[in-house]
Amino acid sequence: MPNDIWVLAEHQEGKVKKITFELLSAGVEFSKKTGQKVATLLLGTGLEEAVKSLTPFTDEIYLLDDTSFTPYTSESYLTNIASLVREHQPSILLGGATSTGKDLFPRLAMHLQTGYAPDCTGLSMGEDGKLVAKRPLYGGKVFAEMIFSEARPQMATVRNNTFLVNDKVDKSAKVISIVSQMDPSATHKKVIGFEKAAGAKLDITEADIVVAAGRGIKAPENFKIMEDLAEVLKGSVGTTRATVDEGWRDLKDQIGKSGKNISAKLYMAFGISGAIHHVLGITTCKTVVAVDNDPNALIFNYADYGIVGDLFQIAPALTEELKKLFSSE
Amino acid sequence: MEIYVLVKQVPDPEAMVKVKSDTELEIENKYFTSYFDEIAIEAGLKLKEKFGGKVTVLTLDNRKVDALRRGISMGADEAIQITDPSLESSDQFTIAKTLSAYLQDKPFDLILAGRQAMDDDAGIVGPAVAEYLGIPHVHSIVGLDVNDSKKEAKVVREVENGKENLTCPLPALFTCQKGLNTPRIPLVMNVMKAMKVQIKKVDLSSLGLNPGDVGSLGAKVKVQKYLPPAKRPPVKMIKEDFPDNVKMLVKLLREEAKVI
Repeated sequence: MPNDIWVLAEHQEGKVKKITFELLSAGVEFSKKTGQKVATLLLGTGLEEAVKSLTPFTDEIYLLDDTSFTPYTSESYLTNIASLVREHQPSILLGGATSTGKDLFPRLAMHLQTGYAPDCTGLSMGEDGKLVAKRPLYGGKVFAEMIFSEARPQMATVRNNTFLVNDKVDKSAKVISIVSQMDPSATHKKVIGFEKAAGAKLDITEADIVVAAGRGIKAPENFKIMEDLAEVLKGSVGTTRATVDEGWRDLKDQIGKSGKNISAKLYMAFGISGAIHHVLGITTCKTVVAVDNDPNALIFNYADYGIVGDLFQIAPALTEELKKLFSSE
Repeated sequence: MEIYVLVKQVPDPEAMVKVKSDTELEIENKYFTSYFDEIAIEAGLKLKEKFGGKVTVLTLDNRKVDALRRGISMGADEAIQITDPSLESSDQFTIAKTLSAYLQDKPFDLILAGRQAMDDDAGIVGPAVAEYLGIPHVHSIVGLDVNDSKKEAKVVREVENGKENLTCPLPALFTCQKGLNTPRIPLVMNVMKAMKVQIKKVDLSSLGLNPGDVGSLGAKVKVQKYLPPAKRPPVKMIKEDFPDNVKMLVKLLREEAKVI
């Protein structure tokens, strides 16, 4: 039987992120074939709530409760995770393709001299415990199935909304407390401040539903229409390169080649023509809706549902219609 | 300051890329310097203008060196190409290992790279080089302020719910994200000059590496199979007049797509 499947938990202010539950759900599915244990690495402080929410999803929780993990820096995470990996030799180590995952995993893989597949949109596993990681290349124009050398663990980061969270997993994790090993003098980097993004919305890479507008919205203040629609859908507002370059919207909300790739369950594009730079960022969204007044707009080639029409008419009407629908439930 | 910038020539986002066979791609011959690498070059040049010193652009590629020429035309001082037949089919780790072998005895203050190359979109090489060299790194920075005399940098890193400010001692490696700067457009005269510039070639033996450590032999991951993207079914246009089209959309999203 191959060694364990490990998932690095991500959390924000004690609340575990959805991607962690997605990865654990996938790990549990794999383990049904192989009999592997599924363990969670949880690093941080004030983690009672996190432990509680993770308990049904995992066989073991390696709990490292130490102030040196908050906020995240690669040094303290790397030292401690590498030491646990050496001791327990997991077969697989998974994390989210998040700002933490993208900062930590490549460095950790080099440190452990093992293989790493970044930003995956699918994982599968054979009975022999060999992982196959599917990931987009060239902005999603092609995909590759990656396989790993004999080195272990097989490491991968996975995009949000890749797996369904399986609420029926009914484990009762054993919590293993680990004393953090850190030479404080070895810490190089120091976080000295944090500017929280305006609004309490999820990042566009984390949201289930993303609504976006491009230059077709004509003025920055008109994004209010999008905010209102996002509000009823409990989604987030994205945008295109053009509006970011105009200074209308923040870079963090840009979808596409020089911005972010999103894998939303529902993506709605309003007044977005469908330039290749943009649509490369939405290739792994499940359902795509396009609204544009140009019937020949390229965006319709990448959509599941299309409406030729004026976004200033359609979007507010859609908001009202959804409000009616949700309030009747 | 002694600054190295890791650069890569990649297919333009508009280039056609198709699956030719399970293990081969067909890529249209339309290349450019990975945009995030240009941001890294620009960041290096700005520091040179402020503190003096030298900017060297470095690539690992057996054929494509235009990213080096782009760097020179923007104002970099020197261009290095690591090239060797055994580097074919490298993965990001063997690339990082090879670049590190070149860099390890160089007197650098700062290594800059793009947040990720716009072909494999992996974002591995930068942090992996930092690990190999034993220097700190910060991934995806949107702000950079160097204090040369204190050998320290203040950087701003983008995270999901905001921006994080960090201090980091030098030497260090930073990967650069859009928002850090706007890369300069080189003058035509400098583009001409860059066409003629001598690119220094470095091979494997001069790095003290064996062919078994690099390229496909040293790789930790490989492509088992290329796949075309899953095709979306043809778009369903909702042709009803307003406001019935909105009602129809809601119905479809709820009953057919089941996403709301």
